[in-house]
Amino acid sequence: MDKNLASRPKVKVAFWTTESTLAYLLLLPAIAVLIAFMLYPIVYVFLTSLYKTNRIGNLVEFIETDNFKTLFSRREFWEVTIRSVIWTVLAVSAKTLVGLTIALLLNVDFKGRKLARTLVILPWASSVPISAMLWQWTYNYDFGLLNYTLKITGLWKHPPHWLGYPLSAFVANLYVDIWIGIPFMALVFLAGLQSVPPNLYEAAEADGASLWQKFYHITLPLLKPVLLIATLLSCLWTFNDFNVIYILTRGGPVNSTDILITFIYKYAFSFLKFGPAAAMAVVAFAILLILSLLYAWFYFKSERY
Amino acid sequence: MKQNKGKFVVCFLIIVILLVLLFPFFVTLSTAFKPLKEVYASPPHWIPYRLWWRNFSDVWTKYPLAQYFINSFIIASGATLLNMVICIPAAYAVARLKFVGRKFLLFSFLVVQMFSPIIVVISLFKIFARLGMIDTLSSLVIVNTVFTLAFSIWMLNGYFSTIPMEIEEAALIDGCTRLKTIIHVTLPIAMPGVVTTLIYTFIWAWNEFMFALTLINTAAKKPLTLGLYDLVGRWEVQWQYLTAASLFAVTPVIVLFILIEKQLVRGLAGGAIKG
Repeated sequence: MDKNLASRPKVKVAFWTTESTLAYLLLLPAIAVLIAFMLYPIVYVFLTSLYKTNRIGNLVEFIETDNFKTLFSRREFWEVTIRSVIWTVLAVSAKTLVGLTIALLLNVDFKGRKLARTLVILPWASSVPISAMLWQWTYNYDFGLLNYTLKITGLWKHPPHWLGYPLSAFVANLYVDIWIGIPFMALVFLAGLQSVPPNLYEAAEADGASLWQKFYHITLPLLKPVLLIATLLSCLWTFNDFNVIYILTRGGPVNSTDILITFIYKYAFSFLKFGPAAAMAVVAFAILLILSLLYAWFYFKSERY
Repeated sequence: MKQNKGKFVVCFLIIVILLVLLFPFFVTLSTAFKPLKEVYASPPHWIPYRLWWRNFSDVWTKYPLAQYFINSFIIASGATLLNMVICIPAAYAVARLKFVGRKFLLFSFLVVQMFSPIIVVISLFKIFARLGMIDTLSSLVIVNTVFTLAFSIWMLNGYFSTIPMEIEEAALIDGCTRLKTIIHVTLPIAMPGVVTTLIYTFIWAWNEFMFALTLINTAAKKPLTLGLYDLVGRWEVQWQYLTAASLFAVTPVIVLFILIEKQLVRGLAGGAIKG
């Protein structure tokens, strides 16, 4: 990309002003919109986190870091934060493992592979909020087809009341998040696998390498850049997953399935405590910033800008 | 022989995985074809006694589904249009022109793209309240534009950069103005990229839930996601209608998504998968 710009011959082109002025002009609407509706709101959240707020979110009194102090002193906050970390780690590991497995399977040439690939995409292609609603019905204890199927197939004789208890509700939420995230992982790994030169495997086969050896010594090292960027991306999405938890359980029973992102929303729009909610948003912002900087950095490195 | 056995195992595993992955879709299909009595039968059964097609027409008369569709369509097309108007020039600038801060901007777009809407929803709620735009479709058009903008610029930047400079230069030398060159030469070549970006924005806005939940109160202004969520909130959910409605709501975006899925993955993972 850059090479293209650099190698560009110096042609005198006729346009009304210098190149950079034109560039800034073309970028102006985008930058203006992002400043007004992205940057300014972020600054405003920081500001709100330092204020006492009333029930409609107006800033009432400057209280320095009091919002943070109360937040950090509450057990609830730490529980939710730790749960967000566990949630992200478990979900991303599962998505990566299953995604990689599916990619390896789809990389084998068999009849119906194209159809299988398309069908694998469906959980990602479907609308997340609507999927979450459909899952709520699937998980239904009395009439849901999940427990019924688990029972009649003998896979699980006494399946739990999924959304009724803290642990099973957490697992149920986690499963839906993983379910949505698997297709991207599978697709991105499949694309990575398909760019591995086949002669590497042929050479290894000639040397008598086993399936596992080929995977461990050829596939895995070559997949490393994809693995890195895909897991970072997945961390961001998983940490940010609001729809699944809000729609399936609203963080319940009694906040037991809340993660930071849903908790912020609850604090602001259910409890109307905008100050503490903003303080939590600042914490979440810091975490997300680190992750997205890492992602952007690796992305840039891979593109060789 | 050994290879055939291997392929058999692969096929078997794929079928098992697909059965698990598509499970909720099977549930949806099964429920959408059942009458209420069968939906709430205990124990439940998979195959409806007979296909109850009426759900698919009843859902349009018993619920304001058409209104939800229209709202979603207005929001999604509005956001798509606005996004295009803003993102095409911006993407052209970062892909084609030299200026100070170009790399920094590209990097920032990539970072911004990843921010959670939740971080700013508190502020945006205040901003829209001050602007008197709570409970309007235009507020949703704006937020959906904002949250798809950075990624759209990225995707399109990728497409513009692959077009050889020489093609544009030839047009410029032939006396075309810069604007004419963009419209008649660059954009047509980058059309697949423009379409991908367009579809991406449309789907994003169509599926958006959190901002609609926060900014919209009136039933007549609710988009599909929020409208259907209201159905779930009722005491006894009419799941046969909800599943039928979601089939209507989800099928078009699934088709669109499958069209752009490859470019999307490429855009998200960047050079890591270009081999």
